[in-house]
Parts: sequence; C-alpha cells; structure tokens
Amino acid sequence: MGSVITIEQKILKKNNELAEENRQRFDSHGVFVISLVSSPGSGKTSLLEQSLTILKKNLRVAVIEGDVQTDRDAQRIAAADVPVVQIVTNGTCHLEARMVQDALREMDLDEIDLLFIENIGNLICPASYELGEHLRVVIMSTTEGEDKPLKYPAMFRRSQVLVLNKVDLLPFLSYNLEEAKDFALRVNPALKIFETSCTTGHGIREWTEWLRSTARGRTWNVVSSLQ
Amino acid sequence: MHESSIVDSLLSSVLEYVKPGERVRRIDVRVGVLSGVSPGAMQFCFEILREGTAAAEAELHISMEPLHVRCETCGGTSDLPEIELECPVCGKPSLEYMNGDELEIVSLEVDDGIGHHH
Repeated sequence: MGSVITIEQKILKKNNELAEENRQRFDSHGVFVISLVSSPGSGKTSLLEQSLTILKKNLRVAVIEGDVQTDRDAQRIAAADVPVVQIVTNGTCHLEARMVQDALREMDLDEIDLLFIENIGNLICPASYELGEHLRVVIMSTTEGEDKPLKYPAMFRRSQVLVLNKVDLLPFLSYNLEEAKDFALRVNPALKIFETSCTTGHGIREWTEWLRSTARGRTWNVVSSLQ
Repeated sequence: MHESSIVDSLLSSVLEYVKPGERVRRIDVRVGVLSGVSPGAMQFCFEILREGTAAAEAELHISMEPLHVRCETCGGTSDLPEIELECPVCGKPSLEYMNGDELEIVSLEVDDGIGHHH
C-alpha cells in the first residue's frame, strides 16, 4: 500500500549545512570571506588582482580559485604573491560548499584575515549554492547588457554588492550606466554598487577601502565576543 | 547545467526516507520563479539519474510557485507567474518580491513495491 510522507525540506539542505560549517570555521578563526561571481569576461580576476595588491598591504589575504579547467587564474594570483588554492571542477559549472571545505584543508585560517573565493564564471548556477561566505559580490561590466540583472534575478538577489566594471570604456559604448544601476536596484534594492575600471584604476580605492572597513568591522565583532 | 547537481541532492535526500524494499512512486517539489532553476532541465536530469535507484519508477511533479508581489506605491498585492518589474495594478516599478527563492522537496509517495501497475 502507498503512503505519503510530508518532507518540506530544502533540496540543497546538505549544501547549506556544509556552508554553515564553513562559516562557523571562518568565524572562529576571524576570517572574513568574500565570494565573487559574474559572467565570464567581466574582469573578475583582474579586479581581484588589483584589489589584492592594495589590500595585502594591511591585511593577510588569500584566495580560493574556482575554474572548470586550468589553473591559469591561480597562477595570476600567485604571481601577485598571494596564497591561493585552485579548485578545478572538470565540468561542474559552480562551486559547492563541499569543494570549499576540501580547499580549506590546504590553508591555515589562522594566517588569513581576508579570503576571496572566485567562483566559476557563470551567472546562473552558482546562485543556488551557499559556500559559507560573509559577502557575495556580483561583477557586471559595461560590455554586457544593462538588463543583466533582469535576466539573472537569482544571482543579483543573492548578492550584497554589485561592482560595475570597465567604466573606462563608457565613451566607446552606448551603455546606459544609470539604467543598469536602476535595473539592478529594482531586482535587489539593498545592493551596494561600486563603479570600477581595472585599466585606469577608477573606483578601486573606494572599493578596497569599503572592503577593508567591512572586514575589520566583522573580525572585531568576533574578537570582542570571545573576551 | 546545475540541475543535475540539484537532482542529485534531491535523490539523495529522498532515498533517505525509503525503507529497504520500498519504491518511490511520486516526488513533489516546489520551485520558485527567482530560484534560477529550470523545471524542464530538472525533469530531464531526473529521468536519467533516477535509474537504478528506488525512485526509478517515480514521477517528479514540479510546481512553480507564483511570485507573490507587493507594490510599495499603491500597496496592491498580486501573484505573478514570472518576474515583472511593473506593478500590474498601478504600473509603477516599485514591486517588492515576497518569495521566489523556493527549491524544496514537499512530499513523497512510497509503497512496498507490490501490486503496482507499471
């Protein structure tokens, strides 16, 4: 005979549990964790390189790199003299909490203040998967359509920060910057928006300053709760 | 396509509720409009991944939960089948989305594998 079992449980419950484990580890070691998501070609890795160069002057930074193939991005980060662990998924289109947990085995969290996780270049799949990060940053560039947020609402709603990159190209494009920001805020009114260029350096200082003070605010809370 | 990872997680969870010898007949899931998941792709992946498991004959029923919205301008509420930017009542782009991120297993139907009609 048949019977109905009521479950009412999130499909990704296990991933969420692992993400929560990751988060607790990060918190207990006072590490502030930022994940970066975007389409391929938005300038995510370049933005990360430039940010690291500035941030590492005062903070101990590290990176977990996620790519489907190659460790080219990890090599770029290593060349900037920052500790990096590369995850190569060989086909999986997004990072999951379990993969981050595995990568953490190669890192000493006591030696890190700020950890970046660079996700696979993909605006769809990573949205569903929590990794345990404190902050999710979505990067969009002026060479993509203004309506990206409307087409990929899940990703823009799950992020807290939007970095609009490649603003140096605006004179050569018919890109409507205000419309892009408007679309983003309609999909997620709480998004904090930065405008940057990795070519001219525009906005990088403002962005890294904000990151630094946000990270310090976070780690201060952890330290004070232990006293 | 990440629906294969999602279906993989779905099947793992479902199979935890199945006792030895039981077969799953039906699985009901709820998917929100803003979840970033395609029901068609989920069905496709399910048909492949269920093979060889206790859910090999199960039907997957996916219900797309309508997007419940509230307009900050006129206060009107509506249920929409997909994401819209303008309020259907007053036309202003001031909609607040009250849900949309659902990706849940609602229920299962299992039986002891005897007397089924496949």
